[in-house]
Amino acid sequence: MVRFKNRWLLVELIPAPQTPSSAAPARLDGQKIWASLKQSIITNFGDVGWGSVGLSMSVKYYSPTTNICIIRVARDHHKIAWGALTLLTAIEGTRYIPNVVHLSGTVKHTQLAAVAHNRAVIARIRAQAKTPSGYQDSYEEYLKTSAMEIEALQD
Amino acid sequence: MFFDLNFPVHHPQHSAAQNVSKKNKGKQPQQPNDVSYSPAQLSAIETRLDLLVHLGYTVIALNQTVQSVVNPKSHVNILDPLLAQLRPRQGIVLLKRLTIVLDQDSEKGFGLTPANAALFKPYDLISLVPTTLATFSLACLTHSQPSALTAHIISLPLTLRLDFRLKHTLVRTALKHGVVFEITYVGALGGENDTTLTDAGAAESGALAKRNWWATAKEVTRVTKGKGLIISSGVVAEADFRAAKDVANLVTLLGLPQEASHSATTKIPKSLVLRAQTRQTYRAVFSDPVLVIPEGATPAAQPPATTSESMPAPAQAKVAGNGNEKKRAREEDGEDGAAASSSKNKNSNNAGTGPNSNAEGSSRKKKRKKNNQEAQ
Repeated sequence: MVRFKNRWLLVELIPAPQTPSSAAPARLDGQKIWASLKQSIITNFGDVGWGSVGLSMSVKYYSPTTNICIIRVARDHHKIAWGALTLLTAIEGTRYIPNVVHLSGTVKHTQLAAVAHNRAVIARIRAQAKTPSGYQDSYEEYLKTSAMEIEALQD
Repeated sequence: MFFDLNFPVHHPQHSAAQNVSKKNKGKQPQQPNDVSYSPAQLSAIETRLDLLVHLGYTVIALNQTVQSVVNPKSHVNILDPLLAQLRPRQGIVLLKRLTIVLDQDSEKGFGLTPANAALFKPYDLISLVPTTLATFSLACLTHSQPSALTAHIISLPLTLRLDFRLKHTLVRTALKHGVVFEITYVGALGGENDTTLTDAGAAESGALAKRNWWATAKEVTRVTKGKGLIISSGVVAEADFRAAKDVANLVTLLGLPQEASHSATTKIPKSLVLRAQTRQTYRAVFSDPVLVIPEGATPAAQPPATTSESMPAPAQAKVAGNGNEKKRAREEDGEDGAAASSSKNKNSNNAGTGPNSNAEGSSRKKKRKKNNQEAQ
């Protein structure tokens, strides 16, 4: 009937290489990301843009270890939010590159994509550190807890 | 497969040797002839390429920018030594591109002539940045003609307020000749532009630049109707890079339908790169004519070594079909090694008729003349 449709964005926030003189990057969380995204929408798309997207926009999940963020927006004007996310250059003073890895209409596929992305990132870290295959490191614990948190998300 | 056809590269010694004297104002600053990249510069370029690969780009064109005029005496190819020193990456294609910024000094001519053809041969892509109406019509009409010097990319300076209208007839002619218009997304982010562009007055950065970008980019999409558009980065600072899907969504906000913006990041640059290879061929013809003898026509008893007079005229459709075949084979082989694969195909086709092609070709010509006379 007239169902309220959403879009779930899976964003990887890549920290851009900083000059050594600048301060250490601040610890991010969902609220800070939401505030920066709101500022970006208002700067680039004005009050009209914020009005069409602001009520439905929320940051559902953020993991500092793998820099992964899940944002939910209403489907009708999600492109404005997505565009503002692309035009977002810095959060709390540190520069980031927002890379939208996955976009879907339900939370199910976002969860699958997020879990797969976390596993890929951890695998890359392990490959670079050249850890032997049987080695138990703290990332195993992280993968379990993050998978549980992601599965706990609801529509 | 995502394309980034604008990866600015600067002359490594340029900033050190730049003199700010008034005498040189408006002229091409003298570029020192020795091109050696320091390890710091090389590692900076490598990290930027790594970031692009992480964001999903597979074909990257290194871009050298030249201001106003290409002077055969002082032009230095900075990309060949760079490519020799870069680490080989599997699955990534690196191309070489030359951009010429056209301003009022270049209206009379800027060196893109057959006399200087040797200068332009090493570059895979040539592009022009017109800043005036006269140079814009030059770029759209004269330099879009298929030849060894076609400028396949026209990159309008998006962060400036253009003082000339983009005439629809000029744009249409350029598109018909296979030229492509470029939108660089660095202006939307208010990011740092290529210094050569800024020096030439073809780019700005800051809040005003962002507004101009939206206005000019919208105008470009309106005039081209999304047909011959490519999107590329033009990014100098690493933090300004964006992934291909994000950029495609940004272009959707310019009024382009979603399918058009997706093809502007995938299909159109791919066909552009293949079309640009025709600069190495004669008159933009992809495949060379190949002699084909239809199967049933020549009697099997006849040994292939004799030149028979009853040479049937090869069916035109077969030749065209064979040309398509070769085109597909060339595409499969990828952008490099195209010449090698085409010569291989030619040899395999002419296996049975190699030594006779000349004689049979001449008898075929005679037959065609006879047919023409009969028709008349």
